[in-house]
Amino acid sequence: MYPLITSLFLVPVIVSGLLLILPKTVARILVITSSLVLAALSLYVFINLDGVLYFGVPHYVNDLVAVADIVLLVYFGWIALRRRSWLVGLMTVLQFGGLLYVLKILPADHSLQFMVDKLSAFMFLLINVISGIIAIYSLRYIDEEHCSSFRKKHFLSILFWFIAVMNLVVSSNNLEYFFLFFELTTLASFLLIGFRKDELSVKNALTALWMNQVGGVAILAAIFFIIYNGYGEATFSNLLAHASASGILLPLALLSVAALIKGAQLPFSKWLLGAMVAPTPVSALLHSSTMVKIAPFIILRLSPALKDTPVATVVIALTGFVFVAAAISALSQDNFKRILAYSTIALLALMIMMAAVGTPVTIVAALVLILFHGMSKCLLFLNAGILERVFHLKQSSDMDRLGESGPFTSLVITIGFMSLLLPPFGAFIGKWLSIETLGALATDKKLLGALVIVAVAGGGAVLSLLYFKVMGLLIARTGDHDKIRFEKTGLVYAGTMYVLLGLIILSVLGLPLLLTGYFVPVASQTLGMPVAVVMDGWNMHIGAMKLPMVPLLIALFLLPVTIITALFIRFKNVDRVKEYMCGEKINYSFSSFYFSTDRATPYFTTTGILFFVALIVAALI
Amino acid sequence: MNDLLIPVLLILLAPLIGGLVYGFERIIKARMQRRIGPPLLQPFYDFLKLADKRKMIVHSAHAFLGIMHFVSLWFALAVLLLGGDLILVIFLHLLSTSLIILAGYSTRSIFSHLGANRTAISILAYEPVLIIIAVSIFMLTGSFDASAAFNWDQPLLYKMPLAFIALLLVLPIKLKKSPFDVAEAHQEVTGGVEIEFSGIFFEAVYTAKWLDYVFCYTLVFLFAGNNILLGIGLMVFTFFYLNALDNSSARVNYKQMLRFSLTVSFSLAFINLLINIFT
Amino acid sequence: MNLASYRKKSPWILHYNAGGCNGCDIEILACLGPKYDIERFGMINTGNPKQSDILLVTGPVTKRSRERLVEIYAQMPEPKVVVSCGACACTGGVFRGMYNCEGGVDQYIPVDVYVCGCGTRPEQIIDGVVQALGILEQKTKAMEVSVRLQKEPLKEEGQINRRNIADQIKPALS
Repeated sequence: MYPLITSLFLVPVIVSGLLLILPKTVARILVITSSLVLAALSLYVFINLDGVLYFGVPHYVNDLVAVADIVLLVYFGWIALRRRSWLVGLMTVLQFGGLLYVLKILPADHSLQFMVDKLSAFMFLLINVISGIIAIYSLRYIDEEHCSSFRKKHFLSILFWFIAVMNLVVSSNNLEYFFLFFELTTLASFLLIGFRKDELSVKNALTALWMNQVGGVAILAAIFFIIYNGYGEATFSNLLAHASASGILLPLALLSVAALIKGAQLPFSKWLLGAMVAPTPVSALLHSSTMVKIAPFIILRLSPALKDTPVATVVIALTGFVFVAAAISALSQDNFKRILAYSTIALLALMIMMAAVGTPVTIVAALVLILFHGMSKCLLFLNAGILERVFHLKQSSDMDRLGESGPFTSLVITIGFMSLLLPPFGAFIGKWLSIETLGALATDKKLLGALVIVAVAGGGAVLSLLYFKVMGLLIARTGDHDKIRFEKTGLVYAGTMYVLLGLIILSVLGLPLLLTGYFVPVASQTLGMPVAVVMDGWNMHIGAMKLPMVPLLIALFLLPVTIITALFIRFKNVDRVKEYMCGEKINYSFSSFYFSTDRATPYFTTTGILFFVALIVAALI
Repeated sequence: MNDLLIPVLLILLAPLIGGLVYGFERIIKARMQRRIGPPLLQPFYDFLKLADKRKMIVHSAHAFLGIMHFVSLWFALAVLLLGGDLILVIFLHLLSTSLIILAGYSTRSIFSHLGANRTAISILAYEPVLIIIAVSIFMLTGSFDASAAFNWDQPLLYKMPLAFIALLLVLPIKLKKSPFDVAEAHQEVTGGVEIEFSGIFFEAVYTAKWLDYVFCYTLVFLFAGNNILLGIGLMVFTFFYLNALDNSSARVNYKQMLRFSLTVSFSLAFINLLINIFT
Repeated sequence: MNLASYRKKSPWILHYNAGGCNGCDIEILACLGPKYDIERFGMINTGNPKQSDILLVTGPVTKRSRERLVEIYAQMPEPKVVVSCGACACTGGVFRGMYNCEGGVDQYIPVDVYVCGCGTRPEQIIDGVVQALGILEQKTKAMEVSVRLQKEPLKEEGQINRRNIADQIKPALS
């Protein structure tokens, strides 16, 4: 197993280096083969991993990591000087000071620096499969970008290097290594957001940089407090081992702050929205499917220690608030990618909330949401790229002719939105499990449970309104011809869409298997206690929750099959008549309705800041 | 087997029951307006007349989505009557409403589009309240299943009076009655999403309205627990309340409907939830 | 079961004003009121040609309204009947011979029942509608087209396309 896992780290790095120098056709073949290899590797690791694997690296790697940290911070400082950004400079100075102090007081560590458990294997699967699909997609996307061919190679190279860093993030145990990889993802985000090098991209890249650096400062502060309080070494396993020690809350709170910033929760959501100016594969990979999933991943790692603490209470309250606030803010947006970004923030809030509650069923719900949301958002963002390139559409109000000129794309986007919202898709199962278990939460934490249920119910309704609003623009057709001719978008684009659609539909069909075989074992190992899964007649019992299988199967026919059939069905020998417009014969184009949330945004930001302050205060008292 | 018989019969006969309720409602509405009104079986005469019209559609996707709206609403009703999970039932109802909204958006018709917009907004008005009511039922009975509520010894109404009032305030939105019938405002958007359906395809949407009646009255029946007489009494009370409200009030616009529903009905349901949690 | 016999049990009306003075329209709406109550025959005033059987037309057909009249008539599914209410709808009434009127509905669409009167009484309207119901029962589902101003419906891909039936006389007519 060790060589497989280390190859998951090394193969992307090697590919990344090779992509900078190889000619185009060889590079393409390399990208496709390495995507397939990485996906296969991660699948194999996931299936065959039992228990927890710790492994260490020789001691000189510690020094290498420290040097890499310093080099990275020097680079950030140079960026701050060159772009004259005082915020980035301030954060770099804080990080630099913190890093040097931490390096000084860091004890000699005896435990192993890398830990791969089932949760890491689960994240490996998500990262590598989704990244593979996005890498193949970006072969064509970046080809059509207006920049030099070296920059195009540079893009693919950074993409693969990012895959390696993500694999390292989810398997690192030592918090200093984790800090390095966290900051490397920040660096990747900065480079990729600023890829187009126009003024807006540079500005948004700097915003992303300093906001994520705050997260880095929080991790450094957490390491400092772990050592200061005398727990020994700064590793995840050590932190969990001291779960009941006094003063453990402060490092946990600081790590949660880092997670919340990476997950773009309010008030730190500006960076994710600004990141939408990046090329679409970047938005799909970093900012919806993998990098922002570090946020629930950290909380899942910490959940045995975090459960039932005041810190968890504040995190649950904060994410409940963000779920509603992000959904409401999304109603005012017109740009398609920004709508998707807000919806990502809202669903990330739900995932973090589930992870923070920490009971067996909520952990399963968080895992289900992570996987299915990753797949669905990847599908939606890649379609946003197709809309941008093939149909030249960015604003959703321009999309009212898409149902006729691009029926396949609009069908896929409709299924993508439906898969986030309705049964039988996995994201719905996650939401449903969350409502049910929040009911269970409310029996002991009464006021918190009630408020959070209200937030989830309200936010869920607002998200449904949002999705219907956008879907409505996509499916309008005239009745002149019933025969659908699917548009030709090209092999790469259409191929990746089919693959993702196939994955989503397969995972819906195999949901019982996935639940028993994959999600529940991961949850059991993360929690450290077995989670009972029993198939009894037509129901599946997970812990104390009952999941009826038959209605979900029928809902499968009622929803996605209906929508696909509606596109192909033709009633014969039936007259076609015009729409009723009081007898007029005029042409009109549709737009959609929008709510203006300008007055509410300052309140949202202020409440977010108050919650963060409360998080630190809750850890101190 | 016996306790499955009554729900299955109810499910199979649901369109007939709904049609009778709808017919009776038209008579009551007419009598309230000092008119005579149509005969009781009028909805079925409408049904049979619509079956005999020449078939006309705008395009096949629109007609098919209308038919599937009816099928999925029947399925949501079936899950409710068989005692399934209440949150699942609410989301299946949302699924069927989403199919009619998609049908409304799929034609290039202004009224249909406006009606679909308004139906989507009215979802925002009633769905959170229903979810809070379902969670309150969970607090009382310990299970999200409707069968637990149907078999509960004590009528849920005694512990959840405010939730019942919230449900009564939200039912006009679901059943598209004044003052909250913005989605199907006949004088404003000539029927909203139903406008482009005709003949036998309109029957699907028309019959779905009848099924909605059965659905909503079953939700009211949940509050009676085990007590069938109280349940019937609640249903009759709700029937007369809805018709009196429909006949005597004017339509409000969607902003007022949202504001009312999210401040008054939602607060009532939430206060009831808090009471159920803390006792 | 003879489905045709149910046509007269549930006739839905569509009411169109082709440029009239609203006198006959008020009388038609009065029929829906408590005093004359045509809902006891099962009639509902739908606002929608696709769901109605009886077209009640009032007003002399002005040049602006004739295309819309033909479009609405084409959007009604067969079997359908047309009742022209009032003197203006039957023959042009007071406005017969004017430059902007065509002289009655039957210049454009086939009329089944003529109800006369200048301001027709609700009793006359109800009488006319009941006669129309008898005619409705005899009709078939064969397509009925308007008399003038119509494009031939196209047959393509196994369907008859009844879209945009009213022909345009002047392109600038809007």
